[in-house]
Amino acid sequence: MFSDDTAISLEGISKRYYLRSQRPVDLKTTLLHLPSFLWRDSNRKAFWALDGVSFSVARGESIGIIGPNGSGKSTLLKIVADLARPTQGKIAVNGRISALLELGAGFHPQITGRQNAVLNAVLLGLSRREAEEALPDIIAFSELGDFIDEPMRTYSSGMYIRLGFSVAVHVHADVLLVDEVLAVGDAEFQQKCFDHIEKLRAKGVTIVLVSHDLGSVTRFCERAVLLHHGRVQVEGKSQPVVHEYLSRIAAVLGHAVSS
Amino acid sequence: MAKVKSDIPYQLVLLPALFPWSWFQTSALMATPAIANNGNLIKKVHFPRYVLPFATVANNMVHFLLTIPIIMIIILASGRQPNYTWLIGIPLLTLLELVLLLGTVLIVSAIDVFFRDLEHLLDVLLNLAFYMSPIIYPLSALGRYQKVALINPMASLIEAWRDLFARNQLPTPIDVWPCIVWAVVTVLVGSFIFGRLEKGFADVL
Repeated sequence: MFSDDTAISLEGISKRYYLRSQRPVDLKTTLLHLPSFLWRDSNRKAFWALDGVSFSVARGESIGIIGPNGSGKSTLLKIVADLARPTQGKIAVNGRISALLELGAGFHPQITGRQNAVLNAVLLGLSRREAEEALPDIIAFSELGDFIDEPMRTYSSGMYIRLGFSVAVHVHADVLLVDEVLAVGDAEFQQKCFDHIEKLRAKGVTIVLVSHDLGSVTRFCERAVLLHHGRVQVEGKSQPVVHEYLSRIAAVLGHAVSS
Repeated sequence: MAKVKSDIPYQLVLLPALFPWSWFQTSALMATPAIANNGNLIKKVHFPRYVLPFATVANNMVHFLLTIPIIMIIILASGRQPNYTWLIGIPLLTLLELVLLLGTVLIVSAIDVFFRDLEHLLDVLLNLAFYMSPIIYPLSALGRYQKVALINPMASLIEAWRDLFARNQLPTPIDVWPCIVWAVVTVLVGSFIFGRLEKGFADVL
């Protein structure tokens, strides 16, 4: 069932979160209210962020994940990135993952861009030496120039994303996960990123892109998955899926206007 | 109250015990919230989670090793000479304390993610442990309670550090066996607990 051509395979992935309002978060309260804690534990309110999501992504394919806020897109990426474990279901990822899930995640504001680039590359799985070797490419791609030796707290959000993206695409990953972050870069840099993603794809890198920028999804993803309430609504070629999403939005808006 | 007798001056009772203890206490306190305080990193970047508490321990180990010259100065000022035993004893005892610490921080840093008040509880417990360990007094001051005191994982280790620095005595496994047992147990229990709990880190942070 899992061939070499498959980069990511998801089978019935579900993720349950408990709404925490009822749960004590400290030892003292837990011990003092042990009976009620145990009793409440079985009555916790569950929230299914993902509910039986299945699809697979071929090697070298780029797939867009779209859907309204709260539909489970980011949770899904977290599971693919192995940051969170699914409550149910099976996931298999072939190869090394590089995830760019949030603007500046893993950057330390007090150290320089150069130091952060190395630190981030190491966090993403490179050795110290590989990171040092990749550094010139990373810096060149980010176009940060002399600012690379300034502490990151002085950076603008555009500069953050430039460095973050540059690191993420230079760690020789087999699977690249990008969540929504490109919106911060200017048009030129976005174009450059997509060109680079295109190049990576040609080398067989698999791309998973979560975005509300439906234009980019149709342009750069062959396939798309529409999520809603943690379920896959539509899956297929990106154009029809985006179209379906837009018509659903239109239907909801039309309903709101008419009522 | 019995008068504490010792063959060495008090500064040599205190300092060679105090610095290794500080390494333990500071590491344990700083490493406890190491994961809980880095929720953003845990939720967004995939890397081995134990790196965070371990880094704190390693950092404090360097601080501790840098205090050894100070101990040496005190020893020399007291008219004693360090000898070759230091070259063998320091790495051995450092390793033992390191293993004990790594096991300990695996346990507390993982639990702290779910019960954030562990930090404060531990602060109090470590203060208590400070007085219960033979730091400001030699173990011999405890008389017939020495055996009970050795249940404390730090007791035999602190004594070994003092014997090494102040008396140039090499530690033997028999001297530090309670600490060795504790180190092995904490590493095993710590790996198990950490491995179980780390699956849930991203969900509760």
